[in-house]
Amino acid sequence: MASHAVTLNDAQYEEQRDHRLLGFLFFLISDCIIFSSFIFTYLYLRSAAPVWPPPGVTPADLYMAGVNSIVLFGSGATMHFAMESFKHDKHLRFYWWMMATILLGSMFLGGQAIEYTNLIHENTLWTTSIYGSSFFSLTGLHGFHVFIGVCFLVVVLNQTLSGTYTKTRYFGLTAASLYWHFVDVIWVALFSILYVWR
Amino acid sequence: MDAGSIERIIALVGAIVVGTAALWSLKLEWPKTGLDDNVAKIMLGLLALGCCIVILVATRVLHGIA
Amino acid sequence: MAVVEVSHATSEHIHPPPETFVQKYVFSFDHKVIAVQYFITTGLFFVLAGLLAELMRAQLAGPNNHVLSVTMYNQAYSVHGSAMVWLVIIPVLTGAFGNLIMPLQIGARDVAFPWLNMFSFWLFPPAGILLFGSFLLGAPEAGWTEYPPISLQEPAGTSMWCAAIFLVGVSSTITGLNFLVTIIKMRAPGMTWTRMPLFVWATAVTAFLSFIATANLSAALLALFIERTFNVPYYDPSRGGSPVVWQHVFWFYSHPAVYIMVLPAFGIISEIIPTFARRPIFGYKAIAYSSTAIGLMSFMVWAHHMFTSGLAQWVQLPFMILTMAIAVPTGVKIFSWVATLWAGKIRLASPLLFVLGFLSTFTFGGITGIFLASVPADIHEHATYFVVAHLHYVLFGGSIFGIFAGLYYWWPKMTGRMLDERLAKLHFWTMFVSFNATFLPMHWIGLFGMPRRVATYDPVYGGTNLFISISAFVLGASMLIFAYNALRSAKHGELAGPNPWGARTLEWMIPSPPPYYNFDRIPIVLAAPYDYGQPLPYRDVAPEYLAAVPRF
Repeated sequence: MASHAVTLNDAQYEEQRDHRLLGFLFFLISDCIIFSSFIFTYLYLRSAAPVWPPPGVTPADLYMAGVNSIVLFGSGATMHFAMESFKHDKHLRFYWWMMATILLGSMFLGGQAIEYTNLIHENTLWTTSIYGSSFFSLTGLHGFHVFIGVCFLVVVLNQTLSGTYTKTRYFGLTAASLYWHFVDVIWVALFSILYVWR
Repeated sequence: MDAGSIERIIALVGAIVVGTAALWSLKLEWPKTGLDDNVAKIMLGLLALGCCIVILVATRVLHGIA
Repeated sequence: MAVVEVSHATSEHIHPPPETFVQKYVFSFDHKVIAVQYFITTGLFFVLAGLLAELMRAQLAGPNNHVLSVTMYNQAYSVHGSAMVWLVIIPVLTGAFGNLIMPLQIGARDVAFPWLNMFSFWLFPPAGILLFGSFLLGAPEAGWTEYPPISLQEPAGTSMWCAAIFLVGVSSTITGLNFLVTIIKMRAPGMTWTRMPLFVWATAVTAFLSFIATANLSAALLALFIERTFNVPYYDPSRGGSPVVWQHVFWFYSHPAVYIMVLPAFGIISEIIPTFARRPIFGYKAIAYSSTAIGLMSFMVWAHHMFTSGLAQWVQLPFMILTMAIAVPTGVKIFSWVATLWAGKIRLASPLLFVLGFLSTFTFGGITGIFLASVPADIHEHATYFVVAHLHYVLFGGSIFGIFAGLYYWWPKMTGRMLDERLAKLHFWTMFVSFNATFLPMHWIGLFGMPRRVATYDPVYGGTNLFISISAFVLGASMLIFAYNALRSAKHGELAGPNPWGARTLEWMIPSPPPYYNFDRIPIVLAAPYDYGQPLPYRDVAPEYLAAVPRF
């Protein structure tokens, strides 16, 4: 395949960036629908079940999930700060905020691993009950998104360090930031319905 | 102190810090008009909402299933 | 390609012209080549899925036939339905017609993301191979809807079905967002929303439905696949799951999918009617906005497929009313088309013949849809041939007639050659008559109580079924006329010239077939394209193309 060895002028870049931004937002909307579909399945199964959680199930720990949520929400804030620093040309600050975001994202995944281990010790598996199936598929789908998001952040950070993005041309960063925010706010919904709602 | 209380305190302090940061950023973001800025506003607002929920959980206003 | 003069900074081809054979014809970025690729692959799948239908009709020609085993019969109707919906009608209307026509009609040089366009096409042949290959591992037997718990108990072919439809879903999602960005961002200067051709309106709404609804289907398929593979309870009622969840999620996709399958056909009809009636389209805004209304309402009617699934009565009632209400914007279109034809200077060429066929059969299918929307009637008719008849009147009589209308209309633009008009008329009349002979009696035997999806039936239905089967073979054979006509046109078809029909939309303002960059200069649009009798509303279009449009 021929690579796109075409240099774009500013107007062309602007136009292409607009297209990609809109396309990326549409992608996020369709991703949101995927979550909604699983959330609907969870809500339906839960409302149809005689007792919730089903007998014999130890649900996931609320307060640990609370700490984990704050870790993820914190990474959303640091991501925003990183973008602001980049837009104001403060590259060192950008670097540290990005590192903080990547670290917090990885911490969230670590927290989720601990949570999964605890649940598996309690014999709450995704095959044993409808609590397990909906809990593990929703958090697992989200965890997968966080993992992809961390990879995305590492890639764009690396690209920034090697000078791919300039003050006016940084769509890759915008996309990574939007994706990360998206993963964050999906967690607001998941935390509320999976842990908080009694 | 048991593990649950420590977790609650961490969550509460973290939620206040992150929530304040999110609201402050939202205020700074408000005058901007680009498509990505508008999306960022929504995202920051929802982030602040998430922090409020965590605060309510940490102060035991909301209980989870157990 | 010579040096291209670019008149505007916007809407420019970023990628350079292809050089090698592979770049040009296999992994092409060019929307026109991708469209032809879609036409060829969907055509192939259409033949395969059609042969499955003929096999089913051979089995049903008499009661207690043994052409197919019961299992094979179940597999045949399941794969026939899945293939026709996901491998033929949806991709041919969005992928093929959308790719071929939409960028030309908005005056763009390509879609917004040519690479994604190529990628989403190449997800599509593997999906077809997986779906038809599922016969090797035991194809799905629960119909194209694959309701659990039956779909949970089937052999591995159903997992292949999940994977195949998932790939089509991803492809359709990507195409949808690609097209919507293209339509929002890449219209020629001056082409406001109310100056867009109506096919573009239809494609925009379809694209919106594609990327919203299809993601939902992908999630459901993922869950079904996980449940089948890892034994995770979502849908299995014996383990706390609920099969009704699948039905909700599936139909929340598949009802909008009905409109994905018919809105582009509406768009095609709206293009052809003014061209051959030589009149401005009646109610441009009514047609455009009713597409939007249909798109939004299509998300609010899905449970009418589930009236026999044990929904509470207070749920059934609003779905019944909304389903009847969605016929209103559809009726607005039908009346607008008829009003355009009214007192028009009609030229009864083959595209218009297919449009007239569409109008009669689709309206008929729409009216039986109203019957089925009514809860008491639906409970009586739900699992009978009445539903089969209704579905084929809207999807065959609607979509396929629309597709052939579009093919006859845009074939000269795509290939540069005309199809033979006499063969086209022969094709139309055999197809129209045998279509009605096939599916009209199904209403009667359905009302008399013949159940659908069974390999055998009570001998009292024998005579009618034999008649239906013979008609179905004629219907299948009528497609050969088109195939012959298409192949013949490659050598013997007369050269079309840029604008054989005297139409006014932008795709006719360039040579046929269009050059790689479509437009030498991006035209400037001054008005909607349907004002027959007025001068053409374009600037920067070469005078010889303007002169090719007769005033009436």
